[in-house]
Amino acid sequence: MLVGCTASSVLGQTPAADHWWAPASGLPLPAEARYPNAYGELGILNTAGDYPTEGHAFFEPIGSNGRACVTCHQPASAMGLSTELIQQRWRETNGNDPLFAAIDGRNCPHLPANDPEAHSLLLERGLIRIFLPWPPRGPGGNAIEPEFTIEVVRDPTGCNTHAEYGLESDEPTISVYRRPRMAANLKYVTAADFGVTPFSIKDARAASRDPETGRLVNMNMLADAREPTLRTQAISAALTHLETGRAPSDAQLAQIIDFELQIYAAQAQHVGAGNLEEPGGPPALGPHAMLEGETGVLGNNTTRYVFPMGDAWTSLERTGDAEADARRDFRESVQRGHDVFFFRTFWISDSMHINNIGLGNPIKRTCSTCHGMHMTGMDTANGFVDVGSTNLPWATENEQNPWTDKKPEMPLFRLTCDNAHAPHPFFGRVIYSQDPGRALITGRCNDIGSIVMQQFRGIASRAPYLTNGSAKNLRELIDFYDRRYNIRYSEQEKLDLENFLSTL
Amino acid sequence: MKGASTLLMVAALAAGIANADVPPESQRNFVSCPIVRDTATVPCWLSEYEGELYYLGIQTDVSADFDPPFLGHRVLVEGTVSDQPRICGGVVLDPVVIAPILDFDASCNTILPAEDRYTVPFAPRPPGPSGGRLAFQRDPVPEEVLEPPYEPREYLIHYDFDMLIMGRHAPILGDILDYATKIGARGIEIIGSSGATLLSDGSVMAEDTSIALKRANEIAEILKSGGLGDLGFAVAATAGQEESDGIEDWKSRRAVIRVVP
Repeated sequence: MLVGCTASSVLGQTPAADHWWAPASGLPLPAEARYPNAYGELGILNTAGDYPTEGHAFFEPIGSNGRACVTCHQPASAMGLSTELIQQRWRETNGNDPLFAAIDGRNCPHLPANDPEAHSLLLERGLIRIFLPWPPRGPGGNAIEPEFTIEVVRDPTGCNTHAEYGLESDEPTISVYRRPRMAANLKYVTAADFGVTPFSIKDARAASRDPETGRLVNMNMLADAREPTLRTQAISAALTHLETGRAPSDAQLAQIIDFELQIYAAQAQHVGAGNLEEPGGPPALGPHAMLEGETGVLGNNTTRYVFPMGDAWTSLERTGDAEADARRDFRESVQRGHDVFFFRTFWISDSMHINNIGLGNPIKRTCSTCHGMHMTGMDTANGFVDVGSTNLPWATENEQNPWTDKKPEMPLFRLTCDNAHAPHPFFGRVIYSQDPGRALITGRCNDIGSIVMQQFRGIASRAPYLTNGSAKNLRELIDFYDRRYNIRYSEQEKLDLENFLSTL
Repeated sequence: MKGASTLLMVAALAAGIANADVPPESQRNFVSCPIVRDTATVPCWLSEYEGELYYLGIQTDVSADFDPPFLGHRVLVEGTVSDQPRICGGVVLDPVVIAPILDFDASCNTILPAEDRYTVPFAPRPPGPSGGRLAFQRDPVPEEVLEPPYEPREYLIHYDFDMLIMGRHAPILGDILDYATKIGARGIEIIGSSGATLLSDGSVMAEDTSIALKRANEIAEILKSGGLGDLGFAVAATAGQEESDGIEDWKSRRAVIRVVP
């Protein structure tokens, strides 16, 4: 496994060497920037060219807590937020950066400031508190009658049982903890030209629409798909995470959306594979490939591929030069890792919105069955599925036994589905979950634990992984799936798959 | 819901009102565990009844008419014995309609390993990436030109046993929405029904009749939330159930949706 990074070859003017982009820094974002990570360098491509950020709504603290959008969507973290960067910022500011704001940068707002324990989920897992009304509200603000009840089984943060912030408060609220997502490559994330139909193929419920235009959207944003468009997402994020008190102006929203749609991110340089964008190389790799790629394409086929690699890294001749041959060895490993992702079959079972949509339980398929969107590895539409990242028995949590002092970190809820509806086909009527995901928006039993897939790009810069940050690195991410689906990857397959993922 | 249905079936048998007939000899209607048999390509789905193994279908993708069942649940099989050669060791039922039973059954957990002697002669897509098309992707249909006076149109939705709407119903709901929108429909009439199936052992497996109205109401709510909220909706349920004869009894588990210009 590769660790450590090569020297940065940053193009243009970038933020200070620590790579933290503070709000209102006034630094321009160059047309192309590189940021080091453990596997090499991430490339950020800005199609607007060298870009002034002074006064820009994405970069300015437009709310009351000093945060900007960039606070949680850092260029150095592929427009997401790694725990490496979070911990670095904590050390630099003694926990006083706006990132650690009480509203959602603490495990719960009532906890003390500047105490690492009060920020443990952000510091250790990179998690932001997401607080949602319970029962859920429909698009018009109407209360939705849920198909299940929620009980708090464990509340390590104290938030879900808190008199002011919890489920029994005057404004009943549930707090779950999720990783920030990439604000890059969003032309793919928002594309609605494949598989987007008026009624979702996952459950035949009415699909979300843009409230302004009435157009269907692909429901691939946020872990629970609660926001239909970049505009509604920006408003919601400003009101909650930035504490703006009111929606940003139309001009500010336009700035934010325009910027988000002009940013592409992917690994550009690799300590093992070298330049990922060299001419004749795999067409899937690098930020320029993301710019040029086609949106709304189902890639789970051998005509378009999810990540088209071509044959540039297959059966490479050796030169006798040790360094060059080591690179060839690594590139062949990356190609094999791609093939593991794309062709290695295993039995996918008991996964809601995969096994119940006409495919049967189990199905013998591959990673790319679900991660099928060309160039990103998301779903092409309505990408919420339950792979067990938050539902028991698969969700990761500290074990409890007489020989450890470790305590559970994540909240745990017991959800009991009512008798008026069909039980969950794979879990029945009682489900334990750290984060009910989509079900917190729809109130539906079948949606418990369903989480929208994330894209794979820039993944080497965005650890930890899964929505609850439970996989600290790429190997743990692979191991999670290996356990979940009893894939029985060989050590070589795991290594190849990790190498492949690290080039994305 | 399945529990209620089982009780209904038992009560009907106890009262001596079970259908005295049995389905035709060619018909196989039964409830049993599904079985997955792996092959060198895609898995096939089987089920055993009275010592015989029956072939139900293969894994393909969401474009297929055959939706494979779920391990962990028994499956209601309603099929006709065909004269086709056995597939995966099973007597081929064709046509066949299957419906997972809601109740868990942990004994339904059999995955048979691939064996050279069992191959799938018909594999429109491999178990991984496709060749570029869904297995049963339909050719594009030219957009229909609609001109007044518009005609009412009826749409039919069939259900799994004791089940409400599922993902596979999304296209027909889309068709309803499309037609109603294009013609500026005045209203939607929905009649839900519950069904009953005459099993090969002579017993009748009936759904809870209350599901008929649930089906109609659910469709109305979905169509309203999908953009037809301004239309008038008339929702009803058929009383009781049609007599089951063991032939295509699955058609009794349905809702009829009528778009009124």
